[in-house]
Amino acid sequence: MNPRALGAWSFAALTVALATSNPIYRALVLLCALDVLVVFRRRGTHIRGLLLAVAIAGVVALAITVLFSHTGTHVLVRVPDAIPALGGPITVEAVVFGATTALGIAAAIIAGAALSIVVEPHELIDALPGVLARSGAALGTALNLIPGVGRSAVEIRDAQRMRGWRPARVRDWPDIAVPVVLTAIESSMTLAESMEARGYGSTARTHFSVSTWRPADTVVTGCALAAAGIFVALRVIGVVGDWYPFPTVTVPPVNVLAACCCFALAAPLFAWRR
Amino acid sequence: MTTARFTQFSYWYPGSAIPALDCVDIEVDGGIVALAGASGSGKSTVLRVFNGLVPHFHGGTVRGRACVLGMDVLSHRTRELARNVGFLFQDPELQAVYATVDRDVAFGLENLGVPRDAMLSRVHDALDRAGIGALAGRAVNTLSGGERQRLALAGVLALEPRLLVLDEPLSQLDAGGAVSLMETVSVAASRGTTVVIAEHRLEHVLPRADRMLFIDRGRIDAAAPPPPHLEAFAVQRNSVATAGASQWSVRGVTAGVAGAPVVADVDLDGGGDVVVLMGPNGSGKTTLLRTLAGLLPALSGSVDRPPGRVAYLPQNPTSLLHRPTVRSEIEWTLRHAPDGDNGSVDAALHAFGLQDVADRYPRDLSTGERQRAALGAVLVGGPALALLDEPTRGMDAPARRILVNAIHELCAAGGSVVMATHDQDLATAVADRIVQVKDGAVRVAPAVEPVLA
Repeated sequence: MNPRALGAWSFAALTVALATSNPIYRALVLLCALDVLVVFRRRGTHIRGLLLAVAIAGVVALAITVLFSHTGTHVLVRVPDAIPALGGPITVEAVVFGATTALGIAAAIIAGAALSIVVEPHELIDALPGVLARSGAALGTALNLIPGVGRSAVEIRDAQRMRGWRPARVRDWPDIAVPVVLTAIESSMTLAESMEARGYGSTARTHFSVSTWRPADTVVTGCALAAAGIFVALRVIGVVGDWYPFPTVTVPPVNVLAACCCFALAAPLFAWRR
Repeated sequence: MTTARFTQFSYWYPGSAIPALDCVDIEVDGGIVALAGASGSGKSTVLRVFNGLVPHFHGGTVRGRACVLGMDVLSHRTRELARNVGFLFQDPELQAVYATVDRDVAFGLENLGVPRDAMLSRVHDALDRAGIGALAGRAVNTLSGGERQRLALAGVLALEPRLLVLDEPLSQLDAGGAVSLMETVSVAASRGTTVVIAEHRLEHVLPRADRMLFIDRGRIDAAAPPPPHLEAFAVQRNSVATAGASQWSVRGVTAGVAGAPVVADVDLDGGGDVVVLMGPNGSGKTTLLRTLAGLLPALSGSVDRPPGRVAYLPQNPTSLLHRPTVRSEIEWTLRHAPDGDNGSVDAALHAFGLQDVADRYPRDLSTGERQRAALGAVLVGGPALALLDEPTRGMDAPARRILVNAIHELCAAGGSVVMATHDQDLATAVADRIVQVKDGAVRVAPAVEPVLA
């Protein structure tokens, strides 16, 4: 798959997820995005952490909505009014609205995260348009340094501990932080020097990696962009609208064409080889 | 045409009153030129003049002239000189720009604007010449140190430089890696590339060098004989294990990550002697040292350490330096020592050859001086047990001698040393016992044959 096609797909999924507060569409986008993520994630990447983060973000969004919005007709329980801000009725409507918010957040995170989980960050950087190529090289180099900084932080902490360092006060932490930062700066300087020595900064730059664009990439990009375009158009003309469960929860309306747009985001599952 | 000519070239780093290079007059004209000199003598600085990193990257003040391949270094940027001058740095970890091998080799070619079709063949040719043709598609972070240094060399060879400059390229490599890197370099030289190489592991360089230059405190005297400290480092052995020494032991120790132990069921002990752990990378030497240090809890078994301080010299020890002066770096260790070590700072500065740089900022020192500062900071105050992980990696001859002395003194004072190393010379010089670590198991080798001093 081409990173640019994936970028287009990710952009389209984000657009649809954020274009409406209707939970049906959001759930469909989440479903497609999750599918793409699970099927196409790079070998060796773990998505447990990501899913956990999404779950936490969802629960937090749900809790905030439930605890602070006291509108809606069907009251589940009452929090005593004596408790400031939280006091008041907790309603079915607020729970539904909280869940809707959580769905939107989850769909948006998954659609965005697919970028870094399906392709290497470096492939993405390479896919940047030509004018950004130099910043891209710098960014890629910075990415290369990150694991080294983590390793050196552990090494330095161990070394100082063996020299008798014991963190008792905040004032003790610079004994670790200072050498970690200094070492990182020195590493960056060395790397900068070696890049300079290899001619970095010349004006007439050519490119080594040309990612191939296959018909499947056209299909994915076409489906995704068409889906997003049509969905936004439906939103603008009012066929798709925002949906709120207040004052009384109702079944969200579904437009067939808009639902098809959401399903079209599953195009990578059919077009790209697994 | 002369490859390079320096005429009365002097250079001061920004803010320094002492010249790093002092009226250097040299002419380089093909072949392999070895540049030798003590740590801090200006080797790295001279090398950086060849491609203009000095003064363009580092700033500072220049007097005199330097001409490389017909280009005045002062009026040409590094990126222009890079077209003809390749530069290989010391640290294999800090030269890769991209995440995959072939992509990274292409970085220089991209910068020079080489068309893509030519690029592909040049990348693969360079990988083959560096002996890593089979690694083309690999992720850089899966390579060993030796492979990474060859990758960096491939990146330089791909540019087809007329002058190849190497700044201590072997210091992080084991013996096998050093030999094969030098082989590639001499093949390049035989194909017409001029090579200038600074390296303290001269045993790998001298057999291939056509000419040798010596630098001392920024001065190069083409006619000077080699300074005495460049001869192979003297081997002396500590033959007397002190009685009543600091005993340590590991009994049935399994350590590493739970479920995937790196070392299993190890029994080892010592006291007042030097135990050297040898074995291939990844065999568990560092894990054993870290377990002994208490940095890594043993999964099973018991570890006994002597009362008193346990000193630990990690790999890349210079990264622990964080104080404004070398003196305060050593004071810091003494101040934090749990048993109130009463070592004298001045004695330590003297023992580690740091008296001249005591009041300087450790990170401004040359690599060798920094290593000695780190050694001093770790070993000061006579620890009961000293654990050293690859202590001679990247070390020059004077620093090695100081290390050997420090180890002997430590043992004479009743301390114990456990050390992991690839360095056979060092092992022979100091070991009372050599322990082979392989695939997480240890095998105690027969006692080292006494070596004539």
